[in-house]
Amino acid sequence: MDIPDNFEKNVFVNCPFDDDYRQLLIAIIFTVKYFGYNPRLSLERADSGESRIDKILNLIIESKFGIHDLSRIIASEADEHYRMNMPFELGIDYGCQKLRGEIWSSKKLLILEKERYRFQKALSDLSGSDIKNHEDDPLKVIFAVRDWFVTEELNRGDSGGKVWDNYNDFQAYLYDEVVEKDGHESSDVVPIPEVIHHMDSWFGKKI
Amino acid sequence: MVKKTQHIVRTKSGEWAVKKGGSSKATKVHKTQKEAIAHGREIAKSQRAEFYVHGRDGKIREKDSYGNDPCPPKDKK
Repeated sequence: MDIPDNFEKNVFVNCPFDDDYRQLLIAIIFTVKYFGYNPRLSLERADSGESRIDKILNLIIESKFGIHDLSRIIASEADEHYRMNMPFELGIDYGCQKLRGEIWSSKKLLILEKERYRFQKALSDLSGSDIKNHEDDPLKVIFAVRDWFVTEELNRGDSGGKVWDNYNDFQAYLYDEVVEKDGHESSDVVPIPEVIHHMDSWFGKKI
Repeated sequence: MVKKTQHIVRTKSGEWAVKKGGSSKATKVHKTQKEAIAHGREIAKSQRAEFYVHGRDGKIREKDSYGNDPCPPKDKK
């Protein structure tokens, strides 16, 4: 089977897209790009004719790395439904790593949760897996993603504190671009693909 | 010309740093954000810099410009 283009650099980001996760998602995408990898999100292929699950399968097949956040699998209110997409997609990625063979056995998965050990109540099959908690804090998620890349692949890299400082500089750039220049009320209303576009411009100016 | 910026940024230990844009080294770290803002604003004014206050999540919650004169003096020579 052919090796997908950029397989070694692609990172499937399996995280919620809702408002209360937005700053964590942006921080994860920033950290992935900071270390020279390509974040791959199901959002990026929204205009194609593929079904959603086929899009996700292709992203998983094309990505050596997977970042899976399970922090929203637990309902926060009494009438709220469980969020099953994230653990389902983690299961597909895990299966791809264990069952597909060839280069896919080299896949690396990072599992994120809000609180340490909370996932065990909902998904006890993961007991023994290395799961990092972020406490809904972008600073902590940046450190978690940075440490994972360095441990799994890079051996050394800029400190989490340095990435966090750069992330703050990027946030100032984003504010200038979308609020002051483009006239948005807040950077919160800008769609994630547009934020990624500004991220690419910012990184381009840093080089 | 690269614009001068000053930032108030949260540190890993939960304190607040006054930091020049593009630098990883804090000018000074304060216990509270309020103290850091007062200090950083003075620096931004003296340097005629852009002043950004970041929230706990890194997002900009306030910005003031001390460097953008809309009618800068023209050099006649």
